[in-house]
Amino acid sequence: MSSKNNKQDTSFWDEHRNKVFSKRGGWVIGKGVFNCGYDMMHDLVGKKSYMQVMILNATGRLPNRKLADWFEGAHICLSWPDPRIWCNQIGALGGTMQTSVVSATVAGNLAADSKGYGQKTLADGVSFIQKALAAYTNGLSVAEIVSEKCAKYGGKPIIMGYARPIAKGDERVEAMERVSRSLGYSVGPHLDLAYQIEQVLLDRFNESMNINGYMSAFLSDQGLTPEEVYQICAVLVNSGVTACYLDAYGRAGGAFMPLQCEDIEYQGKPARGLSE
Amino acid sequence: MVKKAKKVIRRDDPYAKKISTKIWHEQPSEQNPYIAQQSRCHGYDLIELVKERSYVDVLYLLFRSELPTKEEAVIFEQLLISFINPGPRHPATRSAIVAGVGKTDHVHILPIALSTLSGNFQGAGEVEPAVRFLRTNAKKPPEQVALALLDEGAKPAEGDWSIAPGFGSYYGGVDLMAEQLAQQLVTLPGCGKLLSWGNELSHALHDHQMGWLKTGVAAAVLADLGFLPFACASLYQLISAP
Repeated sequence: MSSKNNKQDTSFWDEHRNKVFSKRGGWVIGKGVFNCGYDMMHDLVGKKSYMQVMILNATGRLPNRKLADWFEGAHICLSWPDPRIWCNQIGALGGTMQTSVVSATVAGNLAADSKGYGQKTLADGVSFIQKALAAYTNGLSVAEIVSEKCAKYGGKPIIMGYARPIAKGDERVEAMERVSRSLGYSVGPHLDLAYQIEQVLLDRFNESMNINGYMSAFLSDQGLTPEEVYQICAVLVNSGVTACYLDAYGRAGGAFMPLQCEDIEYQGKPARGLSE
Repeated sequence: MVKKAKKVIRRDDPYAKKISTKIWHEQPSEQNPYIAQQSRCHGYDLIELVKERSYVDVLYLLFRSELPTKEEAVIFEQLLISFINPGPRHPATRSAIVAGVGKTDHVHILPIALSTLSGNFQGAGEVEPAVRFLRTNAKKPPEQVALALLDEGAKPAEGDWSIAPGFGSYYGGVDLMAEQLAQQLVTLPGCGKLLSWGNELSHALHDHQMGWLKTGVAAAVLADLGFLPFACASLYQLISAP
């Protein structure tokens, strides 16, 4: 370890010591509230949609209304009031425990920050289709892209954005395709490739693209990075969790899916004493 | 390419009919199947554990399925004390302070602080990677690993150098409290090979103003005690919660 006489360089921490630095903006008393160069009260409130400002906050860039409306559709599409869905169930369990609506909704949102489902997988989906398009542009065929990916999982069709647990097919894709068409979007290169990958998977495995695959390809065509999509979708499941919370909150405490002792199957060590 | 609408069809995959557990067994009351009349943790009666064993023993049992030996219990208890409070300058503690000043509902303060503590930068998010780093590298000589890390990595232009999960600089220097705690823990009979190895790696990094981080010390002790890597992150949060 350095000797006590060797003074360490702490200039970086000294510059930042107890000081807030911001690239985004803030409230300047008497002048206004600023956000990425916009005066919030004059440029944004009443002039831009909530979703536009949410995307501005998530990316630092104000999107056009069309893309914000598309994201609004996606947020509706991906959050249903069904308490069998894991993040919603956490909302309902909060409700049955009579937690606050904020606590339950935040807990459900945290649960959606998952490697298996939720918004983290969207970042993986965007990453996959962007790399796939780069490979395709460099000469790899769609069939080869699929085979390469499936080979990693013993030939199974495990590709982020394709297939789905519980059911085959995804009604949300059709709904978002309708939204895209109504907003005047056309199919870009990422989405075109995504459809080609889907066709290979349909032919080989009878598996189709899921909402992750559609959103990832569409948003890649809009120039968004995996991180930006993850950031924009931070509270993607919010409203469904709140709905499930309220459904359970409005009933007697403990009434959401109560379990008898015997509803849990114990598979552990047999009964034993401390002296054994 | 034009896509045709496809039907959504149920897969009818088999799912578990019941939740299963190897940890906790609740014996129902004869009068009411929702009320447990006895609870067992890995086979031991909870009331017996309450009467005869320490909190540390039962916490270990809960995660490891067996009671600790005396040596394991001592190092585990000292680890729990070591990281009982991240200190008033730590972002997690400051989150709790700010929530308190903001008159946040008291029941939210601990989840708020633990959420901040979940971060990948010197937080619980670093503990699992630290366990994996230690497990992967502990067969190699620590000096050699230090040289390779210094060779492969580059000191960032700003801020601390997190040279490996659980190791690096702390405000530009060696984290002296992490070092002292590691020196205490390494003297115990329950000290395992990952803590010893990590200690040597830390020494090899001192000349570069780096060494143990608190997350690394916790990761080494927990991994030596046999806790699974994914459980170590939650345990670090639990240890720091008080």
